[in-house]
Amino acid sequence: MSNTNIAIIGAGLAGRLLAFKLSKLNYNLHLYEANPLTPAATAHLSAAAFTAAGMIAPISEAIEADIDTYHLGKTSLALWPSIIEQLNLNAATQVEFKHSGSLIICHPQDHAELSHFRHKVEQLSRQCDAQYQILNAQQLNALEPGLNGNFTSGLFLEDEAHIDNRQLLRALLAHCIANQVQVIDNTQVSIEGNTVISSKAKKSFDWVFDCRGIGAKPQLPQLRGVRGEVLRVESKEITLHRPVRLMHPRYQLYLVPKPNHQFVIGATQIESEDRSPMSVQSMLELCTAMYSINPAFSQARIIEQNTNLRPAFIDNKPQVIVRGQQVAINGFFRHGFLIAPAIIDSVIHWLQGTTCPHHQRIFSFLE
Amino acid sequence: MNTVNTSASDTLTLYDETFSSRFLLGTALYRSPLQMSEAIQASGTEFITLSLRQQNPQKNDGDAFWQLLKDTGCQLLPNTAGCKTAKEAINLAEMSRELFETPWIKLEVIGDDYNLQPDPFELLIAATELIKRGFKVLPYCTDDLVLCLRLVDAGCQVLMPWGAPIGTGRGLMNKYHLSSLRERISHIPLIIDAGLGSPSQAAAALEMGFDAVLLNTAVATADDPVLMARAFSLAIQAGRSGYLAGLMQRRQTASPSTPILGQPFWHNHPPEHK
Repeated sequence: MSNTNIAIIGAGLAGRLLAFKLSKLNYNLHLYEANPLTPAATAHLSAAAFTAAGMIAPISEAIEADIDTYHLGKTSLALWPSIIEQLNLNAATQVEFKHSGSLIICHPQDHAELSHFRHKVEQLSRQCDAQYQILNAQQLNALEPGLNGNFTSGLFLEDEAHIDNRQLLRALLAHCIANQVQVIDNTQVSIEGNTVISSKAKKSFDWVFDCRGIGAKPQLPQLRGVRGEVLRVESKEITLHRPVRLMHPRYQLYLVPKPNHQFVIGATQIESEDRSPMSVQSMLELCTAMYSINPAFSQARIIEQNTNLRPAFIDNKPQVIVRGQQVAINGFFRHGFLIAPAIIDSVIHWLQGTTCPHHQRIFSFLE
Repeated sequence: MNTVNTSASDTLTLYDETFSSRFLLGTALYRSPLQMSEAIQASGTEFITLSLRQQNPQKNDGDAFWQLLKDTGCQLLPNTAGCKTAKEAINLAEMSRELFETPWIKLEVIGDDYNLQPDPFELLIAATELIKRGFKVLPYCTDDLVLCLRLVDAGCQVLMPWGAPIGTGRGLMNKYHLSSLRERISHIPLIIDAGLGSPSQAAAALEMGFDAVLLNTAVATADDPVLMARAFSLAIQAGRSGYLAGLMQRRQTASPSTPILGQPFWHNHPPEHK
């Protein structure tokens, strides 16, 4: 198969994961990225996956989306450990992946929100194997002592995980390079049929995979960006073992622990393609949520504020669009880490001519 | 109020514009834009609200969500959600007028962060100013009679009292206040805005003589928003027809629909079953 030439456009989560997986299968691979990929330039990365919190939460996300999201998430949850295992073979590219569940909590006065969520989880669990546990104050405290003691009840979703998104992106790229993927960064390209055109060169491939996220909008006009804002803070005082979602009548925010005493709190969801910095309103809401999860966050240091656009189609579901020798993989919306392994797996099965074992509905074939 | 009984001519007039639907629908909280647009279609609404702050369409950038709202063909009703002072609301209304090219504004000035209760004092200041500036103001207000009268004095040609606080789904919390409002302010449309959780509550509002309802959460967060939009639409039509048809008066004692006079006396005792 080493005579099959493949271009992957966009070194975000989908692009890197696809390149990594294909590099193990002996394809000739070119990975194009518009931004520079030197470690010093990571701050300029525009990929939504770089901004994301890295939760793999099939149940929590299916509550706001649907059962398809749950199944894609469950498939991915099963696929992540072997990906991580391969990456972690190299001591320099360790990736933290924790299958330690997630907690859903609310303030006593917002109890109706938690009941509503619980009702939805119960409904979901009748259609699939979603499991949950209801916790009282003592059980909450035993499971997650770093929470403010004011929370009197919560839901524990054991079968959810979180991953360090930035470690993962770096590790995938390092392994791609080690596996002979040609990385062409700092290069804006356009795609015409099976040809990739940059200002310097024009090259044709057997297959061109367009994984540019919102950057693919010129090619996919039906794509839209959904603004999300997140904060990254550092606090040595607080330890959390798993993502915590705070239910509130008007917003749903989550706090995800990261290595090195860091936490990501997010995310707003605003129907706009505005990339300007975070609003004061959003900052207040994110900080208030964090503070209410544990008042010690008042002394945390805000190390980053990020705004990015989630690429989404009109139904907020992912799509793999095959047109001739061009394949667009896009519309991951807020579910990148939740669904990417399942989708990339399906794409590789399709490419190799084997029957896609799952999720055929994400494919569409255009003339 | 309206004495015309045929549904085709039973229209709702807001600031000299005529609408045939009595259902105003919000555009927040849906699972996807596709689901939102299907719910809008199922509801038959002609008026959709949107928030400049939370759904921030950029002018002329081809924003897909913004385009989708325009494609519904509905009248857009921008709101001033999140504003806490008259000044803030007036500024946001001006921005909305420019961006959406519409004089319509759902005026919200929030006095309490927790239950999102309107601030009557700031609301009246903002409404007075916006009417002067040529806006078609639909003020979201409490059911306080004096506040409502002052808003009418300020030139509002429609009022939107709450049924209950936003998002609570508690229905018509204070029917006494609401029915006195309806009695005292009978010359302009009154729309129940906020707090409705179920179709029966919407029907009740229309039966009481309210002209329309505005809601969002009850539809958007339903398990099946499209079906719920249809359910509300039917309930609103039923409530309106009930109102137009003239509700019977409640009575203290039972009054059988078939007169018992003249029936054989043994019918007064239920027959014994063996």
